[in-house]
Amino acid sequence: MHRPELLAPAGDLERLKIALLYGADAVYIGGDFSLRANANNFSLSEIEEGVCYAHKLNKKVYVTVNIAMHNKELETIVSYLKDLDSIGVDAIIVSDPGIIHLAKEHTNLEIHLSTQNSSLNKEAIAFWKSEGLTRVVLARECTREDIKDIKENVDIELEVFVHGAMCASYSGRCVLSNFLTARDSNRGGCSQICRWDFDLIEEGEHLKGERPFTFCTKDLSLIKYIPDLINIGVDSLKVEGRMRSSYYIATIIKVYRMVIDEYMNNPEKYEYNLEYERILRRCANRDSVPQFFNGIFDKDVQYYNGRMEITNQDFLGMVLEYDRENGLAKIQQRNYFALGDEMTIFGPKEECTFTLTELYDESMQPLEIVRHPKQIVYIKVPIAVDENYMLKKSLTKD
Amino acid sequence: MKVAAVIQSIDQAWKIKNLVSAYLVPINDFSINYTKTFSLKEVFSLTKTEKEIFLIVNKNIHNSELGDLEKLLLEIENFGISGIVYYDISLINIKRKLRLKTPLIWGQEHMVTNYKTINYWYSKGADYAYLSSELTKKEIDEIIEKSKAKLFINVFGYVPMFTSRRHLINNYLEYFDLQAENKSKLIYKEGNYYPIVDTPYGTTVYSNYVLNMLDQDFSLVDYIVFNSELIKEEDFYDVLFKYKNGKNNYKFPFEYGFLYKETVYRVKKDA
Repeated sequence: MHRPELLAPAGDLERLKIALLYGADAVYIGGDFSLRANANNFSLSEIEEGVCYAHKLNKKVYVTVNIAMHNKELETIVSYLKDLDSIGVDAIIVSDPGIIHLAKEHTNLEIHLSTQNSSLNKEAIAFWKSEGLTRVVLARECTREDIKDIKENVDIELEVFVHGAMCASYSGRCVLSNFLTARDSNRGGCSQICRWDFDLIEEGEHLKGERPFTFCTKDLSLIKYIPDLINIGVDSLKVEGRMRSSYYIATIIKVYRMVIDEYMNNPEKYEYNLEYERILRRCANRDSVPQFFNGIFDKDVQYYNGRMEITNQDFLGMVLEYDRENGLAKIQQRNYFALGDEMTIFGPKEECTFTLTELYDESMQPLEIVRHPKQIVYIKVPIAVDENYMLKKSLTKD
Repeated sequence: MKVAAVIQSIDQAWKIKNLVSAYLVPINDFSINYTKTFSLKEVFSLTKTEKEIFLIVNKNIHNSELGDLEKLLLEIENFGISGIVYYDISLINIKRKLRLKTPLIWGQEHMVTNYKTINYWYSKGADYAYLSSELTKKEIDEIIEKSKAKLFINVFGYVPMFTSRRHLINNYLEYFDLQAENKSKLIYKEGNYYPIVDTPYGTTVYSNYVLNMLDQDFSLVDYIVFNSELIKEEDFYDVLFKYKNGKNNYKFPFEYGFLYKETVYRVKKDA
């Protein structure tokens, strides 16, 4: 039984550092040719900074280069791949085999196959192994039995999505964005048409439920099944969400880190902790289920609440500094809080719930409430904390 | 340039025999985005037409389906099939492993978008490529110039734009306890109607228009494809007949899809 890698998304340098600090073994980031063209993708200098940061921690950075190229991308992609190679990224994640060919021809980059290629079976994966790829990110339609059979039959690293949003289609087989908004989904322009509402019509008659028709699915969560995935021998457990917040990344990664470590440290006595599930559920703004893992993809994995997602205001602030002498933490506010509120301060390893009794502004004048976005304040905290610790609402009144 | 047609029935294949050079035939259990698929027996009967026959095996292949896929591929080796349109990469590996001779057509739908990748698959044994419908004319011309493979291109018919493993219609009806009949369905948004079809293998959503690029010059493409999916047989015959006879008064208006409409993918300006 080997310890799988915990792989986190990172939309920018701040989130890259947060993900690694909160327990990820590796991060994946987007650059010039990734499928989140409208995210704050990394420039080459930011990639270099991120790689240096990660390597100092003995951790890894993978760069998504997972578009389906059109002819014009061929003009610039080779120099980009060479730059990634010289920076020393640990691997690129690719879906277009044309890029695989170019990367092999011009660089020494390690290559992982993106989930965008929808790899579902051992014959396809055996082909990619023969092409020199070292890892395949499996399609999210794979069941537990599929993953096990593939692992037993092909000697290649497997990466499995364990948490986050799902495509309603087979990955790569949706061009709704192209047709409805003229944005190319397979080159990073996905406008999430699958979350739009539609009317379903049968020969002129509107088949109307209490909510409109949509393709939308619930999110994925395999938190319960981490021991199964470890026992199968999955090499990397991947969290989706390069557009997600630092708070989301920290919370999700910390929980998965704890589950992996608890199971690895004592598999015989491991017990599933329902509290972790509650933390994950509270952090996300949508329901989550195991999706295809158990072979079930019926009505209960669909999401019919339209875009009425719950706005989460749990994240109260980020710790910028900590003064050990007087136990005051310098906080950048993210949501309203006030004296007397019960809250939790947490870091990668520890957390502590307390009632806020001391609150000051930047001039150290007493305050009662913090209501301004990104307001800088000082609060008294009961434990020693550090930069990038976070403050959240206490979950006890869930 | 040859005319190829996706067929809806064996009768239809015989009726259009003199209007086409090749048939594209969806196959039972291994084709998606087609409401009518065919048994091997039916495929074999088509060989009597003495037309080229290309099988469409464009389903994402799940691990449990590999055994049946291998049987299918072995069985058709002796049919004299002109080629197999594949989506799933397992077909490349199985072809190698079993030393199969039937040619392959790289048909990964929305991914067949540049000449370099077409040449990559050509080097792996795909003698043909079936171009994506999301390409511009300029891109197609450059692919024609620089790719080694023979090319297929859609010129007429509905275009699949979404394929899911999920049964999206059925899930919706069940969730809200709605009754529906087994009739054709559409989804509607902002003035547009999109055909939507549930099959045992999932859900497909099609374009809100019938692609009709029949006045465009694709003489350098090897096969132009007329897709009969969701088109009435008599209308489909009429289109093929008029095309064959150089008449431009089609029932379906000209609709060029992305041929002269470039998609964007980066909305924000680069820093």
